[in-house]
Parts: sequence; C-alpha cells; structure tokens
Amino acid sequence: MAPGKPLPGPHLGFPTGPDDLLVDAKGTPQRIDKAFSWDAPFSAHGMMHMVIANAARGDPYAIDVLFLYMANMGWNSAMDLPATLKHLTDRDPTTGEYEIKRIIYSDAYFSEMVPYADLILPDTTYLERWDCISLLDRPISEPDGPADAIRQPVVKPDRDERPFQDVLIDLGARLKLPGMVKEDGTPKFPGGYPDYIVNHERRPGIGPLAGHRGKNGGDFGRGEPNPRQLEQYIAGGCFHMHHLPDHMGYFRHANRDYIAWALDKGFRLTPTPVIFQLYSEPMQKMRLAARGHAAVVPPEAHRARIETYFDPLPFWYPPFEGAAPEATEFPMHAITQRPMAMYHSWGSQNAWLRQIHGANRLFMNRSRAVALGIADDDWVWITSRIGRVKAQVKLIEGVNADTVWTWNAIGKRSGTWGLAPDAPEATRGFLLNHLIAELLPEQPGGYRFSNSDPVTGQAAWYDLTVRIEKAAAHEARETSPRFEPLVAPPGLRTTPSPRLRHAEGVLSARREGRGEGQLQASAQASAPSP
Amino acid sequence: MTALPATTEKKLGLVIDLDTCVGCQACATSCKEWNAGGYSAPLTDQQPYGADPHGAWLNRVHSYDVGEGAASRTVHFPRSCLHCEEPACVTVCPTGASYKRAEDGIVLVDPDTCIGCKLCSWACPYGAREYDYGHGVMKKCTLCVDRIYNAHLPAEDRIPACARACPTGARHFGDLGDPESVVSQLVAERGGFDLLPEFGYKSVNKYLPPRPRCDALAADAPSASPPRQARDDAGSGAASSSTERLFAWVDRVLSR
Repeated sequence: MAPGKPLPGPHLGFPTGPDDLLVDAKGTPQRIDKAFSWDAPFSAHGMMHMVIANAARGDPYAIDVLFLYMANMGWNSAMDLPATLKHLTDRDPTTGEYEIKRIIYSDAYFSEMVPYADLILPDTTYLERWDCISLLDRPISEPDGPADAIRQPVVKPDRDERPFQDVLIDLGARLKLPGMVKEDGTPKFPGGYPDYIVNHERRPGIGPLAGHRGKNGGDFGRGEPNPRQLEQYIAGGCFHMHHLPDHMGYFRHANRDYIAWALDKGFRLTPTPVIFQLYSEPMQKMRLAARGHAAVVPPEAHRARIETYFDPLPFWYPPFEGAAPEATEFPMHAITQRPMAMYHSWGSQNAWLRQIHGANRLFMNRSRAVALGIADDDWVWITSRIGRVKAQVKLIEGVNADTVWTWNAIGKRSGTWGLAPDAPEATRGFLLNHLIAELLPEQPGGYRFSNSDPVTGQAAWYDLTVRIEKAAAHEARETSPRFEPLVAPPGLRTTPSPRLRHAEGVLSARREGRGEGQLQASAQASAPSP
Repeated sequence: MTALPATTEKKLGLVIDLDTCVGCQACATSCKEWNAGGYSAPLTDQQPYGADPHGAWLNRVHSYDVGEGAASRTVHFPRSCLHCEEPACVTVCPTGASYKRAEDGIVLVDPDTCIGCKLCSWACPYGAREYDYGHGVMKKCTLCVDRIYNAHLPAEDRIPACARACPTGARHFGDLGDPESVVSQLVAERGGFDLLPEFGYKSVNKYLPPRPRCDALAADAPSASPPRQARDDAGSGAASSSTERLFAWVDRVLSR
C-alpha cells in the first residue's frame, strides 16, 4: 500500500497463510483498521469498529479524511461510546486541528453520527434507488440453486439527496481510480449504478447479476453484458433463480457435474472437490510461522498469541475479558439481540415500529433478580470495567441466571432520528455499547490489542461482563448516561407532526356522504396494492 | 340494543397457532398497513414521533413467559377480534353501528353511525375494540372483508393480510362453521380452544395450543439416548468393527 495510490488488490478476501497478510517488513499493519495483520490475521470482513480509534491515535498511521457510509459509528455501532465521541472531537494540542482532520458521512437519516461530520452526503432510502443483491456479495440463493435480485426505484426522490452508489461511482471517476475510468480518463459508468450493475465485469463475462446475461439475456452466470438485463429482471419480479438439475444438486462439495458447471460459471476456481478441513491447514500454517517456519513470521510481541490461538483443531478458552483479575467483580454476561422488526437503528424511528419497540428493557432472569433484591420494573445500574449505564429491568424466565440482555439499537440520543427530544428512546432507552471496551488491557511491553477475536478480528461484543445493582429510589425514572442533545442543521425539519392519518382522502370521501356499503363496493371495485 | 342475526350462513374466522407464532409482529404491521388505506381507514397515530406514541391497531401481539425456570417457555399471543357468534360488543351498541353479518358472521363497525361512546370496548373481554383518537370512532379487525371478496386481488391474496404475512404459517383463515374445512380440521387435530369461554360469547376464532416439549426437560423424555452402534461397511451392526477401531485410534491421536 502506498499513499495517494489505490489498493493493489481486493480490500477483502480469504487469507490462508502469513504470505497473505497486509503488513510491512517489520510486521506493522498496513490498513487503518489493522485487518489482515498479526493483530487478527483472518479478519476477512475487516475491522471497521477500530477505524475511528486508530485514526484518532494515528496508529498505525494518521489520515486526512475519514469517509463513513451508513454505519452509525457515533452510536450503536461503536464500542466505548464516551471514548469514541472523544476520538471524533479531540484536537491535537500543538496544531489545534482535529485528530481526525475531516469526516465525510453519508446516511439517509439524521443519525447520531451525522453531527460529527464536516460534509454530509444525504443518501436515498432503498425505495428511491437501484440496489443489487449479488452473488458476488450476499445473494438470496436457495439450496436448490443460485439466485440474485435487484431493487428498482419506486419512489422519486423529493429532497436534496443522491443514491450513494451513484455518488461513489462519480467520485471514483473524478479521482480517476482504475476500474472507474476508461483508458482516456472519461467515466467508465456514466449511467451511475444501474450502468455499473449491467456493464461491470469482475472477470470476463461475470458481473454483479448472474441472470439474463448475453446478447439476448439467455445466459446464466457467464455471458456478455446485456443492455436489457435490468428490464428483464423487473419483468421477472426483480429476481432471478437458477434451478440446478437433480444430478448436480447433492453433495456439491464432491459432485463432479456440479463442480464442472461451477467452474464454467466462475463459482469455483479450480476443478477440485471442496475438502472440509477438520484439522485446519491455514491455522497450522500460522502456528508454524509463529514457530519460525515461514518466510513471513510475526514480530516477537505477537508470537505467543499466534502460537496459542492458531490451533488447527478447535479448542475452548475463556473470553479475554473474563480472564482478567477483576473478573469476579463482574459475574454476569451482558449481550444484545436485534429485534425482528428492524435492522440496527435504521427504520426503528418508524411511527409504527416504535409503538412496538419504544424503549428497551434489560431482560433479567427472575430468580437471579429476586436473589439480588431486584423486582420487576426496577431501575438498575449495569456496571462494567469501563463504566456504568442505568436501565429498567423486565424479569423473565427465558434467560439463564448469569446473563442479561437487551434489544440492540433501540436506545437513541436526544435530538436524533426526527424524534421529539423527550422520546422514550432517549429518556428510557439505553445502549450496552457504552460498557464495552474497544481495547484489551495492556500487554507486557505496553501494546493494547483490539477487543476482538484474535483469529477473525470480529468485535467481542458478547464478551462483556457486568454486575447489576438496584438503583436508588431517586435515580429511577430516566436512563444514564444521557449525552448532550444533538441539534439538526438549519433547514432540516425538526417539528414532528402531532398525528399521522394515512389515506386521508378515504376519510374525506366518507365525510362527503359515501357510507359503508359504498365504501365496500368501491374497495371491491378498486385494485389496491397489498 | 343492536340485534344479532339468528344464524349466519358461514362462520368465517382465524385459527392462530400458539406453537409456531414467533412474535415477529408481521401480522400486526401488515394489518396496520392494509387498514391504514382499507375499510377502517385511516388508522391514526397520535404523537407518532413524540414522547408518547400511540395509535389504533386492529391486531396486537403480546409475549408471555409460561411456567418457571428452565422448564418455562415463551408464548407469543396475537390478539384480535374473535368474531364471536353472540358478541356483547354488538348487543351493547346504542346506534346499530356495531353489527354481525348474516352471510359470513363477520363483526364490523359502521364508522358513519358510530358515535365513539366506547361501550363496545367495555363489553368486549378480549380488548378487540380500540377507539381511534384521530377519527373519533371504534375500530376492530374486519377479517379483511375488503380483501376476501375482492376479485381484483390475485387468488392467493384473498385472505386476511395477517394470514398472508405470517412467515411461520401460524395463522389460518376459513369457515369454522364447516366441519370439513381446513381450519375446522386443524382445530380438531390440535385441540384448538376458545378464549374465555365462560363469558358465553362463543368466539369463532380458535387458538391452537403450544405442543408439549420433547427435549430432555420433558417429563417422560429419556435422560440420554442409547449409544449409537457404529457399523462396519457391511452394515452388520457388530460392535468394535475395524472402522470403529480406526476412528477410536484417530480420536486418541488427535487428542494428544
């Protein structure tokens, strides 16, 4: 990697040994999140949760611009919220500049991250743009065969916003990034994202959508770009499914017909069966590197950790947090679960959904609560090794006595999401994120690893341990901490409507004298969309 | 004060499976969405983005713990009008706005003649009646009367929106007055029951009870299954076959 130059290869991937790591000759991580380094060699999904902290500390290096998309890193996707907010606003004492000099953020909603950005790129909602649910990413495939899908715009944007993918392609062309411009420097996808979906080829004949490829749209998987591909997807219901014939359907890891077909379509790269490794070769390669048996070996400070955790056979070890000396102070586990009705924070401000999940409770085992002198609906302090949060409990049977849990991302910061400043999401809702450290305690030598899995780099949200104590009577009523309310920029509507009345026209028609019988007749005569 | 039909030709209603309901709220929100523009429109919401959001819903899903400790289970309970045969919500109505249809037994509110006195919501023991604060009249499940006969909808959509939306197949629609119908047979097979039968309103909707658990915590489940006999290639079932010995050796080696 070199400053001012694009990445030399894919930014995500599947490392299988020390040669695949993104580290320099000294073993220093090359990426801002330290993914694909000795800190977490097989971190195939990256380590987004570390970007802000690393950028603020200039470790492994300082950056000029932090560009975030959609992830609510200033709230429910952050660890150690107070520290994260400090990273976003701290200034270098010598220069007076922000530690993270410039922040660009794109979101469709006024989330808790928005006010921390220098430049905001308002995104559309998914109703207002094209999307591609691709075999190259996270498709909708079934056991019977591969399938992919699109979203098409069904609502015209009526505000100052642009679909984010169009913006990225536009920016890529302006920065003259390879793959985004033609040989002559002009934009490769002037039509924006729909142009990219149809015309981008990841490998010859293979693009984001597998269906309706080829001149006439009759090819699956591999074929030249088809200018009418999106039209044909729409005609088919915005998705395409390829049903595998029976002789290819089963034992696909070792099915010769399937593997030959998959090779042709680009799903497999070699004409060999997939071997399920119960003894993992890539893990053993890393362990051997720690023992010195590799061209690329870990620095001294990482050797013991790589040796220990890269065991080719699975083994159990206590979570790092639980092994610390103060572990007995925090005897309970605390985890979160996403509600079925929403995905992280997006959509949770919806007028109907917030009548279902308006303020989250701390769910606690009834018998453990009784033993701790806590009754249903009591307010409690949840304390971890880095802080404490106040919440209202709900006692249930369906959790083990040593664990408490709550819904993810219901708790909000006052002033955000178009909600009234005294919304229950802000006054009673809470996050566990404030309690979760982003860094593990200091190692001998002073280094602090990320609070993440040592192999995959996944954030260790579920390692959180806490203790629960009943709050004092005068403390019951409201959550804590509550951060300073955020203020919407000028021009952003801040007064929520006092009442929602969908289908106002139906009510007016009724008032004009059309009774129930007429209404029923008209409903039968009309063709409403379900 | 309002009369009931002496009989109805059909007894349309829902069968709700408390064993397979996972509490996802899809039925509640699809009902709200359909009726925001349908028969009961509008279903208003007060303070939609404020400190005390509350609106009119025709179907709500509650979640309860049943039992104690490790043997307990979570039961999700969808609650909407049960279209009773002898509903007190109809007979109590002072204006005739609340009525039961003779052709199919569906209980409805005529919003033009409803005065919002709320007597029906006091009479109904199931909480099926909600006052719409933005409209001034009573609202309730319509059994999607504007979907089930609607020839403009594809055939598979001519059932209540809630039944259409349910991802686990926990909601069934049909004629509970026909013993041969799918819903009646479900009730017979699974022991479907009435809610609060002691009130005598003869609810038409039926609930299917959670199935007894069959894991190790069940009362008469065996505490451990017998060890599985390894079989050699001939499948003879002989103990200590060469394959078994091989696996035992591999196991020892890998455990070193």
